[in-house]
Amino acid sequence: SSLAGIMLLEVLLVLGTLLIYFLFSKKKEETLPFKDGWWGRGQKPVTKEDSSIRPFKVETTEEELSDLFRRLDQARFTEPLENSCFHYGTNSVHLRKIVSYWKNQFNWKKQVEVLNKYPQFKTKIQGLDIHFVHVKPPRLPEGQAAKPLLMVHGWPGSFYEFYKIIPLLTDPASHGLGDEHIFEVICPSIPGYGFSEAPQKKDFNSVSAASVFYELMLRLGFNEFYTQGGDCGWLICTNLAQIAPNHVKGLHLNMVLFSKLGLTHLLSILLGSYFPGLFGFQDEDVRRMFPFLKKGLYRILSESGYAHIQATKPDTVGCGLNDSPVGLAAYILEKFSSWTDMEFRNLEDGGLERKFSLDDLLTNIMIYWVSGCIVSSMRFYKENLQKGIGTQKHEKLTVQVPTGIASFPNEILHTPQAWAKKKYTNIVSFHFMPRGGHFAAFEEPELLAKDILQFVDKVEKGQVWKKK
Amino acid sequence: ESMLSRIRAFEYSQKNAVLVPVAALGVGGVLLCWLRSGHKIKTIDMGDGWWGSGERPLKGKEDASIRPFKIETSDKEIEDLHQRLDRFRFTPHVEGAAFHYGFNSTYLRKVVAYWRNQFDWRKQVEVLNKYPHFHTTIEGIDIHFIHVKPSYVPHGRAVRPLLMVHGWPGSFYEFYKIIPLLTEPAKHGLNEGDVVFEVICPSIPGYGFSEAPHQREFDSIATARIFHKLMNRLGFKEYYIQGGDWGSRITTNMAQMLPQSVKGLHLNLVFIARQSLGKLIRTMLGAYVPWLVGFTREDARRFYPFMQKNVYDVLRESGYLHIQATKPDTAGCGLNDSPVGLAAYILEKFSTWTDKSFLHQDDGGLESKYSLDELLTNVMIYWVTSTIVSSMRYYKENFSKDPDLSAHNRIGVYVPTGIAAFPQEIVHIPRVWAKDVYKNIITYSYMPSGGHFAAFEEPKLLAQDIMQFVQKVEQL
Repeated sequence: SSLAGIMLLEVLLVLGTLLIYFLFSKKKEETLPFKDGWWGRGQKPVTKEDSSIRPFKVETTEEELSDLFRRLDQARFTEPLENSCFHYGTNSVHLRKIVSYWKNQFNWKKQVEVLNKYPQFKTKIQGLDIHFVHVKPPRLPEGQAAKPLLMVHGWPGSFYEFYKIIPLLTDPASHGLGDEHIFEVICPSIPGYGFSEAPQKKDFNSVSAASVFYELMLRLGFNEFYTQGGDCGWLICTNLAQIAPNHVKGLHLNMVLFSKLGLTHLLSILLGSYFPGLFGFQDEDVRRMFPFLKKGLYRILSESGYAHIQATKPDTVGCGLNDSPVGLAAYILEKFSSWTDMEFRNLEDGGLERKFSLDDLLTNIMIYWVSGCIVSSMRFYKENLQKGIGTQKHEKLTVQVPTGIASFPNEILHTPQAWAKKKYTNIVSFHFMPRGGHFAAFEEPELLAKDILQFVDKVEKGQVWKKK
Repeated sequence: ESMLSRIRAFEYSQKNAVLVPVAALGVGGVLLCWLRSGHKIKTIDMGDGWWGSGERPLKGKEDASIRPFKIETSDKEIEDLHQRLDRFRFTPHVEGAAFHYGFNSTYLRKVVAYWRNQFDWRKQVEVLNKYPHFHTTIEGIDIHFIHVKPSYVPHGRAVRPLLMVHGWPGSFYEFYKIIPLLTEPAKHGLNEGDVVFEVICPSIPGYGFSEAPHQREFDSIATARIFHKLMNRLGFKEYYIQGGDWGSRITTNMAQMLPQSVKGLHLNLVFIARQSLGKLIRTMLGAYVPWLVGFTREDARRFYPFMQKNVYDVLRESGYLHIQATKPDTAGCGLNDSPVGLAAYILEKFSTWTDKSFLHQDDGGLESKYSLDELLTNVMIYWVTSTIVSSMRYYKENFSKDPDLSAHNRIGVYVPTGIAAFPQEIVHIPRVWAKDVYKNIITYSYMPSGGHFAAFEEPKLLAQDIMQFVQKVEQL
């Protein structure tokens, strides 16, 4: 009975601490400081950095192609276990089919022309050559200005993910989306991804990326702009809104992750399916989140192996992937399967071509391959996660900028509005999208574009009221 | 007082008639229970399995022949390897990375240069073939093993069979230095009593030259059963078993499955999966009053600070485990296609798991404990057999199930057990915790130096510990 007494005391102590923490841990409203840095090799030069904006075109060579084909020809596959579908990862029988298409039908030269259809540029910021796409609207009605919109990709994606949604935003009228709001879209590559130079120094995290993109937008002459993102883009755009709330007119997200599990979170996980109203859950929230073990905990465990190893040993895990295009494809395609729909793991072909064309999937992979950026792309996880989740300053600060959230049903984890509003204190719109998964812009460009438009509409009208 | 008088009032013969048989029944009942509980040891069900491709053949007995086997290579194999090494695409590391981001790519270039220009695979194949190799088919798959008998047995010495099981990312090759110390101890200055061993080192199915299972759910229990069948087929009824890493779990399962066949179990790594509130409390108290919870001073030194050594370090080092236990086919795909990628992935473990401080060194401290020839020979075993993916699947098959339901966590180990606790092992398990599972610990030694790959790194220390353990068991 003394042991039970000790146990009870411990439980009470823990609960008491949680309670005190919960009561006193109101998130602070200060801004996040801009993070300056020099990420090039060696010492920062004394001379002023070249701030010119240079046009850029993706190129390829015969040598690049023949090297790729030789590697594809000599790929060594391992037979999958019987009846394993995509449960053990990318199924190598299906992978062989994709590699065959890659060798025989995929036309990289043609895809390079597709990539070059939008104007691309490079400019040096904080010692790094930053690559970005900049698309202006083809036509503007009299008296209307294009609204600048910064869209940030994630991992294992790239600027290419936005190629289908860009026309819907720069020329909405031609796509039946009205012409009240027309955008000029800027899609940079995160440093270390695609054609943006990789940082050569430690500690380049999401706040660094947000600072670099902030400088980019200022350099392009934008004083006020919208930002949009999912995956790493969610984090970078959030940081940008925390660094420069006076410049970010609106923040639109297609993914939100919660980094702190407080007492209310725990209680709502335990009791949320029985008393949804009590915790601010809507029916759709309950449908997407529960049973929590299956849709929350097990999903996190079964899908986060890649994040765990990339956050601890990126140079090890990326090494082979930069040497074997087939290995790279297997690693990246697995995400385009399970993060589009978790049920795709039960399919022999991983459901890959149900939502994407092989050309699109392979073009994204080729961006990682020809730029050799897989290792540096993985380092981003370590720089952000190495001190643990929930420990960094920006995770403790809130966001006051008007925020719009498009919540897709097949996103890896569902965050209800009740939880999101603890961090995003000014949620202007929160919608449950009818279909679509993690790669929203790639998979459901029209749904996402519509949600962005209605969000911007609300923000603009809200601003008008404020001005009045 | 009144009760006593009442009992005395009972007539003597009546008392005898009732009390004595009742007492006899009572004592007899207690005795029976005690006897049964003492001798009734729970074991793991042996079960059966079929791991070949397709359906199990209904007719015919399995071919039980034991076929000698020699490892071979070819010009084509070496040429292909060289071409891949030549066209490796290298990524520069960030400044000051050492081994903190994983395998340092500057050092990797040096390793690749050695591999391409100085490493002689044909010569290493001859080294591998110096011990006799065999294949035999069990449960539908070809099991590879080496079997080394002492060339000379002095008069009066007994030869004990010893099964040694490797782990990941190791192989049977890890035992090449320790084998002569166990089969011919006198020649190497080890005179630990009368025991001399004949050593059997199999390859876990899916590793090296053992065929990979074609069916799902091939776990450590299936492996344990297959290794028992192997020893049986070799004519052994009772034997010693030794293991670290997966070998520790497999040999533990073997002891739980057929304790009557296992004379002694020796481990250089202890897996403890079950946590409990009691253990948590003992852990917290142990930091301040180790003697109260049964920790020795050395336990406390190796075990604390708790968060650093058992949580942060483990989280930092277990990314590979997480991805292999969930998406092995993805994780291994590129590694089976890029030998340099494979080497980086495997050799990173030989650095960090040998000594945690090697993380701070630009070359990962690899060549301070091993030669490049040895390290690359182990990597080549994974490369030439294309077994990296199947070796990773073992993690998924073993960790997928709810740990509390797995048999071996609930069943204790009653065979005589010896534990060699190496100081640089990834996690230190004190004796008092090991006792939760291993009920019959005969020896528990704090080794003076060495890490995870004990047999590879400190063969003499390990051999001495095995021998003194076996000595003690023989005297029981």
